[in-house]
Amino acid sequence: MSYAVETENLTKAFNGFIAVNGVSIRVRRGSIFGLLGPNGAGKSTFLRMICTLLRPTAGRAIVEGHDVVREPNEVRKAIGVVQEKLLLYPVLTAQENLELFGRLYGVPESEMRHKVRELLEEVKLWGFRDKPVGTFSSGMRQRLNIVRALMHDPRLVILDEPTNALDPQSVRWVRDYVKKLKERGLTVIVTTHDMHEAEELSEDLAIMDRGHVLEVGPVQELKSKYNAHTVEDVFLKLTGRELRDELSGRISAKGWR
Amino acid sequence: MMASGISHTLLIAKKDLTEFYRVKPRLVTMIVFPIVLMLLFGYMFPSSGAVNHVPIAVVVQDQSPQGMQLADRFVYLAQSSGLLDVTTTDSVSWAQQQLVLNNVYAIVIFHQGIGTQLSSGGGTVEVILDQLNPTLDSAVKGEIEQIFSQMDAPASPSALNVVFQGLIPGTTGSFEFLAPGVIAMTAIIGGLSGLAMTFSRERELGTLDGLLMAPISRLSIIFGKGLAQIVRGAVSSVIVFVISVLLFDVKVYGNPLLMILVLFEGILAFTGMGMLATSFVSDQESAQLIMLMIQFPMIFLSGALFPLLQLPWWLRMISYILPLTYVVSAFRAEMVLNAPFSAIAPEVYGLAIFTVVVFALAVPMFQRAVTK
Repeated sequence: MSYAVETENLTKAFNGFIAVNGVSIRVRRGSIFGLLGPNGAGKSTFLRMICTLLRPTAGRAIVEGHDVVREPNEVRKAIGVVQEKLLLYPVLTAQENLELFGRLYGVPESEMRHKVRELLEEVKLWGFRDKPVGTFSSGMRQRLNIVRALMHDPRLVILDEPTNALDPQSVRWVRDYVKKLKERGLTVIVTTHDMHEAEELSEDLAIMDRGHVLEVGPVQELKSKYNAHTVEDVFLKLTGRELRDELSGRISAKGWR
Repeated sequence: MMASGISHTLLIAKKDLTEFYRVKPRLVTMIVFPIVLMLLFGYMFPSSGAVNHVPIAVVVQDQSPQGMQLADRFVYLAQSSGLLDVTTTDSVSWAQQQLVLNNVYAIVIFHQGIGTQLSSGGGTVEVILDQLNPTLDSAVKGEIEQIFSQMDAPASPSALNVVFQGLIPGTTGSFEFLAPGVIAMTAIIGGLSGLAMTFSRERELGTLDGLLMAPISRLSIIFGKGLAQIVRGAVSSVIVFVISVLLFDVKVYGNPLLMILVLFEGILAFTGMGMLATSFVSDQESAQLIMLMIQFPMIFLSGALFPLLQLPWWLRMISYILPLTYVVSAFRAEMVLNAPFSAIAPEVYGLAIFTVVVFALAVPMFQRAVTK
């Protein structure tokens, strides 16, 4: 079986704080893989290593057959990333944003116009192509943010909390769109705090806490193993019900310093 | 109603001050900035006697006993004045080069044959002023006139004809001194603050991640952003330049290519400095404050707005390690005094070395800052 992502003992430490500790997982090609965990579990740091934004302290990660440290540009070409923060320039128009990223990813100029139109029509933003993104509603921005990540036809799409702070209509649209991506044969990794969303979308799940992977496997197997009705039950059985007051290390992981 | 309004006002003020206190760069700026400001303005507008030991060159071409005696008497009186520091030479061209480089502010020339002329009842001493700063010129001119009026031997004051002139034709004004400094500053400061601001803004927005995840070289990102700042700096300096020429009648005497070279070097050097500073800060406000802390003293200490001679020696030492000082001095020498390349070569080469060193430090530090 081929894997879109394979990690072995992947570890990241920031000044002695271990945000990700020896994570080994495999993500099947063409599947939707849910990555769950409480705040500070290390999900975002893990994803930033996969995306080549952070250099692992130890271990290794192979994404679409390429090592994230040795072949970062090959990894970057293979993945499309939708972060919690929008990777869009508010003063540029929707079309300009897509063209900018298309050019950065080497989309041929002959295909650019067609590609931009196709994606904007798909997310019902073609009529707004000349409007600055700063004037868009949060739902419109997120739709554009998602197709921005698809400009270069990636094989793996990584979505970090893609439905955070969206209205129910936009949430539904995003979930349906993620399913469409799978139908097209893409691999999707999605993080979310919404357990219903995780259950609806994911075929395989990894549950992380305090930098470790506590459990990984197909959703149904995990529910059977823990005698649980829902993913939320599995999650709470593994991570406990107590509130998390410890410092998460999130700033150092997601921020710059 | 009013009490609760005051209470809420105090509450918000306390919250803002607490936020301010927690971010150390902001706190340091708050304390250091007023100190720096007072020091700089204090020396920019000196109360009295702040200008002294102004270096001048005395060219003695007449080696006859009368000629030597005349020059020695002048040097003695000049040194005793406290206002002037004299360097003697027999080369007019060397002295003129020093004037162009701002190493001396006036040249007093005792031409060949002045001794003989004096014996026959008259003689002319030529004084060349640098003309770039009317205040300084006036002080130096007044002092030289006074010295000649005190001369009793071997020539009486009435026997000497002292001719004052400048290196460039016509009368120059204050803005002639200011314009090159302002142009250089405008071009350069943009590079320093603009780059830091654009990086910190993209960090906060999150869009920098989008660039960093693209399959392109990190250097492309760094240099692309640097290039944008260079263009901005160039446009700003052209605007200031055109305004200076059209509205304030500033004349350009120098070689345009050399002027562009100096400005370009300055913009590059400061873009590198901006990049270096950006590696240490993460948010926009801190970036702004740090840049302000670097820029503001540099503007005053570079000699762009007033002569470095007005500064005490310890502040002058600081000004000599600031790259803007060399950009301003070379640009001014070229623009107003039409300095040959050889005269500004030390500045041009020095800036080139500085730029290379800054980029050699800034690029890896910046790359490390973005991929920890």
